[in-house]
Amino acid sequence: MSSKPAHPIRSYPAFLWKAAGVATDGNAAFYAWMTALTAIFLVGVHAYAQQFAHGLAITAMSDHVSWGMYIGNFTFAVGLAAGAVMMVIPAYLYNDHEMHDVVIVGEILAISAIVVSLAFVNVDLGRLDHAWHLMPVVGRFNWPISMLTWDVVVLSGYLFLNLHVVGYLLYTRYRGAVPDPRWYVPFVFLSILWAVSIHTVTAFLYSGLGGRPFWNTAILAPRFIASAFVTGPAFIVLALQVVRRLTSFHVGDGPILTLLSVLRVTVLLNLFLVGSEVFTELYSGGSHTASARYLYFGLHGHHALVPWIWSAIAMNIAAAVIFLSASPKTQLWGIDVACVLSLCGIWIEKGLGLIVPGFVPSTLHELIEYLPNEIEWKVTLGIWALGLLVFTVGLKLAVTIFTGRMRAEEA
Amino acid sequence: MDELTRRAALKTGGATLGAAAFARALAPLTEWEENVSVDSFLQKHYKEMNKLEMSVVLARLETEALEEHGVAVSISDPRPTPGVSFAYALNLSVCIGCRKCAVACHEENNHDRATNNSYIRVLEMKKGGIDLEQGRTDYKHPVPDDDHFYMPVQCHQCDNAPCVKVCPVEATWKEADGIVVVDYNWCIGCRYCEAACPYHARRFNWQKPEIPAEEINPDQAYLSNRIRPQGVMEKCTFCLHRTRNGRMPACLEACPTGARVFGNLEDPNSEIRWVLENKRVFVLKEDVGTRPRFFYFFDE
Amino acid sequence: MSTLLVLLGCQAGFADPSREFGAPVLEGERFPTEVHTPTTLGVVDTPVTDVHGTPVGVACATCHGPDAATAWASRPGEPFHTGVELHHGPITCASCHDPDDRTKLRLADGTGLDLADAMTLCAQCHGPQFRDYTHGSHGGMAGYWDTRRGPRTRNHCVDCHAPHAPAYAPVVPAAPANDRTPLEDSHG
Repeated sequence: MSSKPAHPIRSYPAFLWKAAGVATDGNAAFYAWMTALTAIFLVGVHAYAQQFAHGLAITAMSDHVSWGMYIGNFTFAVGLAAGAVMMVIPAYLYNDHEMHDVVIVGEILAISAIVVSLAFVNVDLGRLDHAWHLMPVVGRFNWPISMLTWDVVVLSGYLFLNLHVVGYLLYTRYRGAVPDPRWYVPFVFLSILWAVSIHTVTAFLYSGLGGRPFWNTAILAPRFIASAFVTGPAFIVLALQVVRRLTSFHVGDGPILTLLSVLRVTVLLNLFLVGSEVFTELYSGGSHTASARYLYFGLHGHHALVPWIWSAIAMNIAAAVIFLSASPKTQLWGIDVACVLSLCGIWIEKGLGLIVPGFVPSTLHELIEYLPNEIEWKVTLGIWALGLLVFTVGLKLAVTIFTGRMRAEEA
Repeated sequence: MDELTRRAALKTGGATLGAAAFARALAPLTEWEENVSVDSFLQKHYKEMNKLEMSVVLARLETEALEEHGVAVSISDPRPTPGVSFAYALNLSVCIGCRKCAVACHEENNHDRATNNSYIRVLEMKKGGIDLEQGRTDYKHPVPDDDHFYMPVQCHQCDNAPCVKVCPVEATWKEADGIVVVDYNWCIGCRYCEAACPYHARRFNWQKPEIPAEEINPDQAYLSNRIRPQGVMEKCTFCLHRTRNGRMPACLEACPTGARVFGNLEDPNSEIRWVLENKRVFVLKEDVGTRPRFFYFFDE
Repeated sequence: MSTLLVLLGCQAGFADPSREFGAPVLEGERFPTEVHTPTTLGVVDTPVTDVHGTPVGVACATCHGPDAATAWASRPGEPFHTGVELHHGPITCASCHDPDDRTKLRLADGTGLDLADAMTLCAQCHGPQFRDYTHGSHGGMAGYWDTRRGPRTRNHCVDCHAPHAPAYAPVVPAAPANDRTPLEDSHG
């Protein structure tokens, strides 16, 4: 460690340059991983360029199902971003030191997931060239009436909060200085509240629509939060496993066990909330429950989503059983499997399983079905590849700086 | 040092390849047909334009229509008349489900020909209730069928319009005469309004509308039937280019049975007032609280 | 006659002469509202068809003069009236036609009526429809909702309802919209 920290402003260009070097340097496996992600991202870019030129007509969406794969993934990604707070709360509210050491992984996940969710909103727009109308002051920002403006505010706010905290911590460590709590702890606490708000507002986007009974339910926001607190920790557990196997960064068992105990609660809470919703829909019957009947059992011979949702239910239940029964000491691989299962299960449940049935049947009770087509799959995979690129670069930078292999020249 | 230069060379090569691949991936963008000039990109919101700015925009849109579709059109911007507040009523006892209104809408409002789009969907409903679940829009047999009645649905121009509430950029709003309009040059195409509407009244331009030049209706207005750009929302405007000039909406004129009644709510002698006062009218999905200006009624 | 005149004359205040209206909100001169004159009025189909297969019509007055000599020549469906099929409730020819003057119609009270005023005849039985018609909620129209700015035309009863068989004939509807239904194929 250098005795005197580097200059806070003058050393910034060098920091960026070195960071770019770290982000593009690594072993063969790293290059293979990054090249693969870049290739998938470019496939997505190509598909999006076609969509931009020819219009959303080349997707499978229609005036009946006017949101699909993109908005489903947007919803899931916001949940992932919010779920990252499940590391921040133990680290900062409960002073879990081991968690504190690795909490940056959660914050980098939050940044990556927000990038992904914003990308999904943007590819869903019909007129990207009009997107500047969404900017406050220069555009016409329908705040506070439109829930979408709230979402713009909270998502960009959450992005900036996490960018600030991560950027500050990494740069300070790089300079060889001790982070000043006054410069980041207030933002960390704000981000905890903010994490809940991003997913609540996203739920309100849908639950505020009186014309869509499938979404028009007060339980939607709690469901979103519960499932977010499954996907966030599940993704982080997997990320921590990778980090501790592939890098020299020390990750103790403590954080994984803490996240597992969170998961053991939230996975059940999510199933309980889903079950409550399903009961209310199916027991009461009537035309307002047609979407739920369509989703779970099919309606009038239409059942495109039935295999998807039952797969999701099976995966979520299997994940719950494993989380609750597997011993983290001896069966950590089992926990990994359960994490993957719950990520896939909730991806379906909150994506295709939530957005699409809101439109099927339509508001005039017409049954026009939807499943994403090739273009949408390519764009979707491209965006997730972009997210993983951001996440990988972020992690690589953090690991390199935290292990002292990237630091400023002595002042 | 050798290792370092080798790495640098590899990185440079990788970056070059990556940039080339990126350019190749973006190549389909050159097929974009929208005419986005600097003027149209920077165009202000409808409500922020003064008369002069609007006249410049209208002239530009007319030129673009001539260039893109080869038709001389006239795009006007009729405004609401004080003392006029529109409403529509539809007599379900008389409607026979012939879809002539939907066809008239298709032609009047310059809809895309291939999709046969229209702002009106006609539901064939089972007698004995108003159960949308029993309705169909794809019937093709001769009408009217004895066991059914027919219910055309179009924009209800709600006074408490969910579509207006949810729009993040105020690209859609309610005018003084009750008509809910869209500024096609301001809409970002997020389709939140389409999700919010309980009446399936909004449509998205999934692609650029295509109409043979000789079929284009040249009598157009900025807020209504001018040919829409790709990627924006559109909706029924009660044919404001006609109705704000005193004329009937196209769907009403096309109705062979006179099921449609249109007029000024503020005129106590108007036909629409007579219907509202003397017929037992109802609105669709009253429970969602949208307060429509579109009423249905049956004869006794 | 009188009712039709009232109908035409009252468009500014809308039709029902028994109803007292307040002063209209909208001031100003009004354009006329005209009732369309159907070409089929006073014409019956003959067995002769034109190149399109459409029956050629012949005016009642071709055979029937104002003298009683040309009184009941035949019943509906019989020669000279083969194009006439009576499916109009329990009424007879004389319910509407003046038995003494084939060129005229006759109201229930015996008053003679020109063919051009047929709507008044219809109205004596179909009161609710006529009431709705006069208030614009039956029968269709074109032109201006705001008659200060332009004229309006109304359909005649006979435009939609053939006098001898008034039930509205079924029609083949126009095609519905071609909705984007990507999954239609995979689901038959």
